[in-house]
Amino acid sequence: MNRAAIIGTGQTRHARRRDDLSQPELVREACTAALADAGIGQKDIDAVVIANMELFEGRALPELWVGEGAFATGKPCMKIATGGTSGTSGCIAGFHQVASGLFDIVLVVGFEKHSEGHTQTGMALTDPFWDRTVASGALGNFALSISQYMVDRGVTEEQAAKVAVKARRNAARNPYAHLQMPDITEQEVLDSKMLAHPVRMLDMCPQSDGACAIVIAAESKAKKYCDQPAWIRATATRHQQPYIGDIDHRLTSMETLRSAARSVYAAAGIRDPLKELDVAEIYEPVSYAELAWYEALGFCEDGEAGRLIEDGVTEMDGELPVNPSGGVLSTNPVGASGVIRVAEAASQIMGRAGEHQVQGAKTALATGYGVYAWADAMILGTAP
Amino acid sequence: MIREEKIQIPFVYAAGQAGSRFLVALRDDGRIMGSACAACGHVSVPTRSFCPACSESDLSDVELAGEGNLVSWTEIPGRGVFALINLDGADGALLHRLIDSPDKLAVGQRVRAQFAETRKAHISDLAGFVVTGAGP
Amino acid sequence: MSETVTVTIEMEQAWRYASGTAMERFSEGLKERRIEAVSCRLCGRAYLPPRPYCGKCNIRMSSWTPVKDEGELVAWTVMQLPMLDGRTGEMREAPYGMGLILLDGADTTLNHYLAESDPAKLAIGQRVRAVWCNERRGAMDDILHFEVIR
Ligand SMILES: [Zn+2]
Ligand SMILES: [Zn+2]
Repeated sequence: MNRAAIIGTGQTRHARRRDDLSQPELVREACTAALADAGIGQKDIDAVVIANMELFEGRALPELWVGEGAFATGKPCMKIATGGTSGTSGCIAGFHQVASGLFDIVLVVGFEKHSEGHTQTGMALTDPFWDRTVASGALGNFALSISQYMVDRGVTEEQAAKVAVKARRNAARNPYAHLQMPDITEQEVLDSKMLAHPVRMLDMCPQSDGACAIVIAAESKAKKYCDQPAWIRATATRHQQPYIGDIDHRLTSMETLRSAARSVYAAAGIRDPLKELDVAEIYEPVSYAELAWYEALGFCEDGEAGRLIEDGVTEMDGELPVNPSGGVLSTNPVGASGVIRVAEAASQIMGRAGEHQVQGAKTALATGYGVYAWADAMILGTAP
Repeated sequence: MIREEKIQIPFVYAAGQAGSRFLVALRDDGRIMGSACAACGHVSVPTRSFCPACSESDLSDVELAGEGNLVSWTEIPGRGVFALINLDGADGALLHRLIDSPDKLAVGQRVRAQFAETRKAHISDLAGFVVTGAGP
Repeated sequence: MSETVTVTIEMEQAWRYASGTAMERFSEGLKERRIEAVSCRLCGRAYLPPRPYCGKCNIRMSSWTPVKDEGELVAWTVMQLPMLDGRTGEMREAPYGMGLILLDGADTTLNHYLAESDPAKLAIGQRVRAVWCNERRGAMDDILHFEVIR
């Protein structure tokens, strides 16, 4: 396998509605920014990977419609759609294309325009013979798992509220983030509207319109175009059985993410992730999920996640800052969200994260989450 | 066992920067606008933010003639005749409908745009095309 | 900024799904208030919904085992937001309770409605039983909801 690195990233301003741009124009905004950041032109791109959940926009063949926005005309181009992992899986697919020696430079772009379609409809179209009678979207799905997780691990609403506050305070230093709530307090989270017990409005991610792109380059090109590329040291993607009832204690066990994390840590020689990682960008659509992911990712022992957030270990000034960008809790254009995790982790390694830069970050983790049925993990570093 | 279900799904599509200019010109002035590429000279219709031929984004709006040549067509029983029309001055073709459905159509036949009386910034503001002469 | 245009399109979508043989047998059973799981001879898991292959062992399954219409509540929530019903496209009225139920004899859980929608009266570990509709068509909504056995 050849070495490959991320040499540029770009994202749009994310918002509830981006009525000012069509889907192809939204994609173009992110791609143009990524090419500028990488210092390359459209002719340098050998292939394009698009990540999107077309069910959420209701436009068939998005790769066809937005492809020219991604400079894909006349080039190899494909689409990845695996729920919340679409973006991270798209990045991993782009990495495979470069690491295999097939292409020198691959552009990966993820996008979603939730405002144009009907996301709840997309989420409600589960198995028509089994659970469509009752399926209640990502919210209902999470709320069920969280009721178990709280009992299994003794996690409290207050600890979850701390996660929600951390995300929005971090987002205030990220000009691209959708939710801008710099003064949010734990009490506001605890007082926000109950959506599905025990999940409150401010525990959940928003729905955003937005796009994000990264440029992945082979070693020779990476060194030519970038002083400090973000080297892709390890990647993993995991799939699981389909039904909500198939996996026992899903949030507590989170088998897919645990397995993906073990795999990338082993490949990158990481034994103690809390000490050896400098920053993490993880896919947390709900506050409680971030706590569960701390355990699945080995940031702490099982049952210690509540203590980790209470001790401030994952704050910007803590031992391992988690989601300096504000995370999915602050910005969630689903098909783009995984690419944003990778782009943010890469920006940290390249020293280009601006006001939310973690000083001296050398090793970063990015993860993706797709309704338990998928999880992705990627380790980026300052050296190959 | 077969299960049949039917649901309504609403979509709200944003026409975006270029698409909005096309629809607004159609509504306000009854004009068909395209985009000319400074890099390769390609003239696309409707207006675009980037060139479909070369992907560059240095484009300028151009007004196109309301006339052109019939490139191809098909008749869908009960729904009318759909056609690809190469407008004079444009590269490529615009997909729209023919208002009359004459018995004898031929590739290269001249057609002219007809606009709806009340317009709402929608592709149907262009009511369709009528045949203006015999085939070549 | 100049005027931006949006176009609204309301689409009617019609679906036609085939159950496959395992789900057909299961659904026919519901008409008789019968719940059956299919179990894997390698790992021994009794699966709901029934399906032709064990996803863990990747072998074909053909052995059916009876499952009771009562079991244990292993997860629950009360939805406070109206949510879209994927069967019809209509919104469901809130609040409504729903849970994951481990039916006696099954190894995977069933997601269904709960009769109870007061969060103070729901707890993991409660015993629940199915309340069946009088008219049954061979579908999951032949079960109205599950009620807590007090
Ligand atoms: Zn051009
Ligand atoms: Zn098995």
